[in-house]
Amino acid sequence: MNTNNLPNDSRDIAPEPITQLLTQASLRLDDRIVAALHHIHDIALEKQSQSEPVFALGAGHPMHWPKPSSAYQWLAMIILLLAILFGGAGYWQHAQETELSHLDAAILTDDLPLEIFVD
Amino acid sequence: MRNLTIIVLLLLGLAVTPAWAAPISWHSLTSAQQEALAPLSQQWSSLPEQQQHRLLKTAKRYPDLSPEQKKRFHERLEAWSKLTPEQRNAAREKYRAFSKVPPERREQVKQMVRRNQEMKALQSASGVPAAASAPAGRATD
Repeated sequence: MNTNNLPNDSRDIAPEPITQLLTQASLRLDDRIVAALHHIHDIALEKQSQSEPVFALGAGHPMHWPKPSSAYQWLAMIILLLAILFGGAGYWQHAQETELSHLDAAILTDDLPLEIFVD
Repeated sequence: MRNLTIIVLLLLGLAVTPAWAAPISWHSLTSAQQEALAPLSQQWSSLPEQQQHRLLKTAKRYPDLSPEQKKRFHERLEAWSKLTPEQRNAAREKYRAFSKVPPERREQVKQMVRRNQEMKALQSASGVPAAASAPAGRATD
């Protein structure tokens, strides 16, 4: 192989002739190789569509409701809903307790006697 | 899916566990809490846990009270702790309703109660039964 005519620096290579060469070479590929490449391409596309994020919501749905599609997504959804539910209940209970303690302190310190409020 | 159900049930079980699961001993209270709840030192261990926790929350306000309010707080604490939960709830409802009364009207009620108390005090000092000479009092209800 004669390498004397090749440029010393790879940056001197013009991309256009190489692209043309690759296109011409791909047109001369064997049918089996083309079929194999198509097959690999299809597999790659399938894998890409399967690897959705955990909290991907059902796209294209008119209401845009969350649509878990696996057991893990269901679990995550249920945990999230439980966290919201019990977080809200905990906050409400804390607010109730605070109000009750405020009322109790007020009753115990009011200048009206306790008997006025107690049956 | 079965494992998922078990996990969800466990989470539910944890979430519904009440926050006041353990009773509190008198000795584990801080000195400030013991000072606020001093009248209850003897019966503290016999109080329900929920009541203990509520009293501790109420006692948090004790340091901010005036000396007069602290005195009232201590005087009423024992009687308050002996009430049933229903009686305490009824008292809270009455207090809440009374708080919504206009201040002038509230002051009128307070003066009326004071007069009534003074009358009762005079009657008890003179030995006359309160019900005989005070028909408008609560004793006739």
